[in-house]
Amino acid sequence: MSEPLVLELEVKPLDFLAAGETATQFKETLKSLGLPPEICRRAAIVVYEAEMNIVIHGGGGVMRLQVEEDKVTIMAEDEGPGIEDLELAMQEGYSSAPDFIREMGFGAGMGLPNIKRNANELYIDTAPGKGTKLRAVIYLNKGR
Amino acid sequence: MAHGVKIVEQSCRGCVNCIKSCPTEAMRVIEGKVRILSEICIACGECLRRCPHRALLLEEDEWDYILSKRPMTLVTDPSFCTQFSWPPIPELMTQALFELNFEPIFDEYEAAYDVTALAVARAIESSSDNLKPLISTYCPAVVRLIQIKFHELIPHLVQVESPLETSIDLWRARSKRRDPVTLVSSCPARIAMVRSPVGRDISSAEFAISTSKLAREVLIGSGDPSKKVSVDHPFRAPRWIAWAKTGGESMHVRSFSSRPIKTLEVDGLRNVINLFQEMELGKLRGIDYVEARVCDLGCIGGIGNAESRFLSRIKIDNMKIDFNFNEENREKLESIYDAKIWSLREKIVPIEQMPLGEDLAKAMERLKQLHAVYADLPHLDCGTCGRPSCRVMAEDIVKGEGSLDDCIFRLKERIADLSKEIYDLSKRLVHTMTPEGKS
Repeated sequence: MSEPLVLELEVKPLDFLAAGETATQFKETLKSLGLPPEICRRAAIVVYEAEMNIVIHGGGGVMRLQVEEDKVTIMAEDEGPGIEDLELAMQEGYSSAPDFIREMGFGAGMGLPNIKRNANELYIDTAPGKGTKLRAVIYLNKGR
Repeated sequence: MAHGVKIVEQSCRGCVNCIKSCPTEAMRVIEGKVRILSEICIACGECLRRCPHRALLLEEDEWDYILSKRPMTLVTDPSFCTQFSWPPIPELMTQALFELNFEPIFDEYEAAYDVTALAVARAIESSSDNLKPLISTYCPAVVRLIQIKFHELIPHLVQVESPLETSIDLWRARSKRRDPVTLVSSCPARIAMVRSPVGRDISSAEFAISTSKLAREVLIGSGDPSKKVSVDHPFRAPRWIAWAKTGGESMHVRSFSSRPIKTLEVDGLRNVINLFQEMELGKLRGIDYVEARVCDLGCIGGIGNAESRFLSRIKIDNMKIDFNFNEENREKLESIYDAKIWSLREKIVPIEQMPLGEDLAKAMERLKQLHAVYADLPHLDCGTCGRPSCRVMAEDIVKGEGSLDDCIFRLKERIADLSKEIYDLSKRLVHTMTPEGKS
């Protein structure tokens, strides 16, 4: 097994204009590696949703993409307010996004459920006031 | 793969303006002249707009040859009708072209564009939600862009032929004529459509020339046709004229839809690319149809036009265009629809690009090398190495298609290092020398 390939990008808070850039860039990287389009697509959605969470709630943070021979891992870290009730946050349609963000068409409460749907494994380490660490794994030889 | 762009070697000065405008990074400057990587060129024409030396032109057929073949049958882009001082009315255009011994087939356009709009409307209605929005295939550069950069969107492309091709097919079927047809194009992409069509093995047109060339000939050679042909006020134009401008296709499609549909009209290359990126992230739910055009304002913004796109737009806006289909012609339209003449014969397939390595491990190794090489470059994207950016340069080096010394800054550093070494060497004493430098 060769060393994993790691890419890291900083995500700025409330920068909606740039949102999606990390997803696009990570996706280009995965495509250039010749990974199947299905994997690239799922990874891009996970990255995009995690990125949006950092933009909306996290107050900025870091996105990391790690590629190994059998899996792609996406990590998102922020030092924001953390998630109070994780179980509730995992429910479709639940959102704690403020109104001004919903008015922009974001915060539909689909972020975490969408990540869960597209990843094979999802780990979230969070506590109020402690920030959020998200790690999603997509295996290359497994379906959804 | 033809791309509809001609490089005029004598005029190319090797400046790097064009290569930086290319959306697919398909251009390089090699030995002082620009080169196009035709397999990834989408024929959008951005490089023609950027070239300050007119070294990039439309790859059209020999004008004298076209003239020598008259009477020549012409199929012009609808935007052609907006190029003149008179209103964009096909009867006037026919008169002007007739005087030059050209034979336009505008008579077929109505049926061709109607059946295209109908086919699109029906495709939208029968499409499942996860394939929506469907994407228009009218702009050939949009189709190529998706084939090269947005593979996930390929299933969204509507399997409908260009109505320009369909009008030629209709004309041949009706007239039984086999003599060649020349397509008059306002962009490299439609010229490429004649040379290497997508979705069919061979174009129905034989030759291609630019709108500007024919428009010039009309301006010189034939008088104002509105002096000879009388047209009623207010000026009316057929529905297909509206397709010259962004939004016209959507209007036409909506008129054939049995229920209200949501369409999104986007023009300009940057906007189209942004839209497709958003679409790939699944952001465009609730939209039924996307009409995307790489040229600003639509085909009237094509680089091969003679008239200002802004004036062209006003001319179209000033026309009365009736989008209500005359139901008396319904039977005829349905029979053309049933003949499937509007359908793309072949599936549109992605144009795969070589991954960095044969397998994932190799590709990852290459990508790490690429990052290492990139980190060593100045990140100025100056273009002096002949590539559009430092990233592309790093990619080319890793693929074995370039060397670090192609970078002028790296070369300067090496010369500085080397001259320091020469200086240091020159200071070294040999045993017969004293420190004062005398022997």
